[in-house]
Amino acid sequence: MNVFLHELKSYRKSTIVWSISMAALIIFFLSMYPSFSSSASLVKKILEGYPEPIRKAFGISIDDITKFLGFYSYVFSFVVLGGAIQAMNYGISTISKEIKLKTADFLMTKPIPRNEILTSKLLASLTSVIITDIIYLVTAYITAESVTKESFNIKLFFMISVTLLFVEVIFMSIGVLISAVVGKIKSTISLSLGVVFTFYIIGMLQATLNDKAMKYITPFKYFDTEYIIKNSSYDITFVIISILIVLISIFLSYAVFLKRDIHAV
Amino acid sequence: MNVIEVDKLTKYYGKSRGIIDVSFDVEEGEIFGFIGPNGAGKSTTIRTLLSLIYPTSGSAKIFGKDCIKYGPEIKKDIGYLPSEVFYYDNMKVIDLLKYSASFYKKDCSKRIKELSEMMDLDLNKRIDDLSYGNRKKVGIVQGLLHEPKLLILDEPTSGLDPLMQQRFFNLLKEENKKGVTILFSSHILSEVQRLCNRVAIIKEGRIISLEKISSLRENSYKRINVETAVDVRSDYFKIDGVSNIEIKDNTVSFLFKGDINLIMKKIAEISISDVTIEEPSLEEIFMHYYMRG
Repeated sequence: MNVFLHELKSYRKSTIVWSISMAALIIFFLSMYPSFSSSASLVKKILEGYPEPIRKAFGISIDDITKFLGFYSYVFSFVVLGGAIQAMNYGISTISKEIKLKTADFLMTKPIPRNEILTSKLLASLTSVIITDIIYLVTAYITAESVTKESFNIKLFFMISVTLLFVEVIFMSIGVLISAVVGKIKSTISLSLGVVFTFYIIGMLQATLNDKAMKYITPFKYFDTEYIIKNSSYDITFVIISILIVLISIFLSYAVFLKRDIHAV
Repeated sequence: MNVIEVDKLTKYYGKSRGIIDVSFDVEEGEIFGFIGPNGAGKSTTIRTLLSLIYPTSGSAKIFGKDCIKYGPEIKKDIGYLPSEVFYYDNMKVIDLLKYSASFYKKDCSKRIKELSEMMDLDLNKRIDDLSYGNRKKVGIVQGLLHEPKLLILDEPTSGLDPLMQQRFFNLLKEENKKGVTILFSSHILSEVQRLCNRVAIIKEGRIISLEKISSLRENSYKRINVETAVDVRSDYFKIDGVSNIEIKDNTVSFLFKGDINLIMKKIAEISISDVTIEEPSLEEIFMHYYMRG
């Protein structure tokens, strides 16, 4: 419990900054919606002027974007991108932070098994991400209610929004695995930006090429908002894939970390 | 009873050598010195005892329990001070010490106060504002605050000024009187000589000698440099116990082992302009003391 609280405290600042940024981002985007919907035909015309591959890459669907959920899923993809970076960051720092700051000696000479250390740290990261998500979700919902004149499907709105957490958990577990295997990582932020953007770009390529197989490579495409809106459910294949990725990454992280030599400075 | 039992402990880092077949025992209540030059394997041995790294072969027991299998359990009674201390920079000293204490289900606040007063440590400073020496003091308090039965110190004195070093040594002696066993690693021979009962000497990953300090002292070498005012015969200092004579202009330097009075008389008989007597470096000890066989 003490390690968990210590970790949570060390993430406090970063959690506050991420929460505020993501809340601000969604307020900013959603406040554009009224002007979007009131001049729907004009917007459609402008968007038609863009080449199709670009529209696809950015996930713009002309028919949907002037409806609220269509508009929301479009801006939501940027929110997920941000959330993925935060989660990846926390995941990578789980182990590498201790090794980089050379505090591993302190922590691991205490009477606490390594698996407990890792569990506490993972739960602290997860809690920070969930706190960010709750603040985001509440902000998004309040903003959505105040910018829309017509009613929208609240259930779908939540179903879409909560995939933020799913994608974050996937990225976090990949991050933990990276840090368990690599150990000392000099710059956490550049590595997590690199990994997350790589997957994001793969996602854009996938949308442009409409390649079915590529969908499996990038977690950004596992929870397709279009699919959710159409079917009112998640694509079960990708739910299973997500769970497998998370379980395998976490399992391997424990296995590697428990056997790892903690080297002197 | 043996507090530490190391049995043929071997560690390779990939193909490079860490330690090979290291075996020694530390008895309850003794101060055991562990000495060797940098890179000899002192830290490797210590880090294995603390299950920070895993041995390639061999085993070690602390309090009679395997140090890997029962690691978390035996660490309740171990205090560890690494050669370089690193802590969470954005914390205050007191918060770090409290965090450290929170791992040992007992009230350590009184002990924290006592120790930090003794070591002259300001509890309200932030760790990243501390000098190297002051960080070291945090390390000392942190290693002792839970009243461990075994202290493992890995080159603990670097960064401490002579006054603090003295206080630290007194603290260790006091703890030892209370029955605390101490494993003290160092590359400074005089330090180990002052404090320890027995000493293991490690070189290139192997224990090359295990001695009582008293016998080490009998055989202790001094490096003596004499700057003479007048020319002296090159064989003037050739008495029993003198070796490795080097003469350069008016400076004679040599290693001496034996009754220090004899050599002092010899030096006093001639006119000199300067003299230094110092501990030989460990390398020299290895060269001359351990290659006698």
